[in-house]
Amino acid sequence: MQRIDYPEPLQRLVFQLKRLPGIGPRSAERIALWLVGSAHATPGRNGQTAGARGRDLATAITETAEAVHPCPQCGFFTTAPLCAICEDDSRAGGPLCVVEQPTDILPLERTGVFRGRYHALGGRLAPLDHVSPEDLNIDGLLDRVRAGHAAEVILALGADVEGEATAQYLAGLLREFPHVRVTRIAQGLPAGGGLEAADELTLSRALTGRVRLT
Amino acid sequence: MLLRLELRDFRCFPFLRVEITPGAQFFVGPNAQGKTSILEAACVLLRLASPRAGSTLAPLVRWNAPSGGFALAGSYGGRELRFLYSPERKKLELDAVEQSRANEYLRLARLVYLGNSDLELVRGSGETRRRFLDFLGAQIEPLYRVNLRAYERALRSRNRLLKTAPDRRREIAAYDVPLVEAGTLLTSLRRSLVAELTPWAVGAQTAISAGDDPTLGLRYESGIRGDNNGGAEDFTAALHASRAEETRLRQTLVGPHRDDLCLTLADRAAAEFASEGQQRTVALALKLAQASLLEAVWKTPPLLLFDDIFGELDPARRNALLAALPAGAQQLITTTHLDWLDAPPAGPVWELTDESRLRLRFSGG
Repeated sequence: MQRIDYPEPLQRLVFQLKRLPGIGPRSAERIALWLVGSAHATPGRNGQTAGARGRDLATAITETAEAVHPCPQCGFFTTAPLCAICEDDSRAGGPLCVVEQPTDILPLERTGVFRGRYHALGGRLAPLDHVSPEDLNIDGLLDRVRAGHAAEVILALGADVEGEATAQYLAGLLREFPHVRVTRIAQGLPAGGGLEAADELTLSRALTGRVRLT
Repeated sequence: MLLRLELRDFRCFPFLRVEITPGAQFFVGPNAQGKTSILEAACVLLRLASPRAGSTLAPLVRWNAPSGGFALAGSYGGRELRFLYSPERKKLELDAVEQSRANEYLRLARLVYLGNSDLELVRGSGETRRRFLDFLGAQIEPLYRVNLRAYERALRSRNRLLKTAPDRRREIAAYDVPLVEAGTLLTSLRRSLVAELTPWAVGAQTAISAGDDPTLGLRYESGIRGDNNGGAEDFTAALHASRAEETRLRQTLVGPHRDDLCLTLADRAAAEFASEGQQRTVALALKLAQASLLEAVWKTPPLLLFDDIFGELDPARRNALLAALPAGAQQLITTTHLDWLDAPPAGPVWELTDESRLRLRFSGG
């Protein structure tokens, strides 16, 4: 007997959705059915034909994929040749802030404190995950430092073993530029929190990195 | 206090539920029915580590388990604990709330596992003794566990580089700082742990041997060559000094992963000079010291898991051991038979049947 399944394009859609982060087979199927509009909606209701929801999403995805690309200088998202941060001339003389991922830029930017430019490495050194310096945008960083606008490079990397090792590695490379100050962001307690909320390692590092008051 | 234990797809059990009482309980049955697995399940549920398996818990999953993982649940000190494990994912729940960190979960319970393999503490390699210290340290100082993880990760990363790319010196050196940071802390934690443990171990050894054995000595031996208690500077210097050798041998040669806990009787190495009986006493004394120290630190006795050791001990030592245990501790005891008991069992006796089911044989005095 012939085995009945969803039509082949729908199966392909479910397959693609399953590859998205956090989406399992059941969710993928539900989303796919919602997109083609046959799960709950009556075809033709609200003047929409079946699949209109899917078409809007498809357009958004296609447009995004075509228009958005990483900034060739810092790695942030942009639709222009350079991103808005790299285009902003008022940031030219400021420090250069090195982050692991382009997604780390927005949280820093939202603090409103930092007025320099960024450089996303695209990851961190992790021999156990087969990530070596060649896999990261380190040459680009050295080129930017060599071009010589930044007086300071701030390493805003993770506080784990790999983040620490990556910071050490970059600090070693940046010693070639004695006029550039290399700093690392501080580690410690979350603002507005009591001591009891912090884990032991954070607390011990906060103690080591204590700040003199008098 | 552990009051219930549930195993799903753990070792040989598709499902098993054990009701546990406050005092002692006995699990009897022939070999290979899963007695030890019940104790192991209690240990994994409460400490997220197995006394038998190494660092990965994958071998604990029942062969052919449909989900590919195991689940453990139980009630400890009025809290509901749940631990789900599969090779892809681990999940911790406390009172049905998922925990992103193990901190609060691990703060609940302490335990000591006593088994026949404890003799390895005296005879085996330094690895056995380091694991003994680590298992204890993690139960005393929450920082111990996080820091140990960081050290192991830095060490494995560094060794991977030494193995695959020994000429990339700058990359290898980048791991020196996290290695030294975590390693220095680990060294000082282990050093003070041994210092705290020593008086308890000496006292327990004297009690079990009735003062007949030569005096037990414990000495922490740092894996950092030329360690003068100077912390990070000594470690950094030792790393520099071993550079040529580590490049040749392609692994990190100095650091707390080379630590040892030297055990002596009258200043002579216990592994070489002590008799079999004396060695067994030393191993027991170390475990008893662990129990006493945990009780002294937390003011409540730890859960005691005895894996088939009472049948092996002569009556004098058995009684001395029982007398030296923290009073009021909850005990889970496995044994092939109960002939060694001089009095009726002081708690329920569960019998494991051929189908790995539990049957209550005696409900306790």
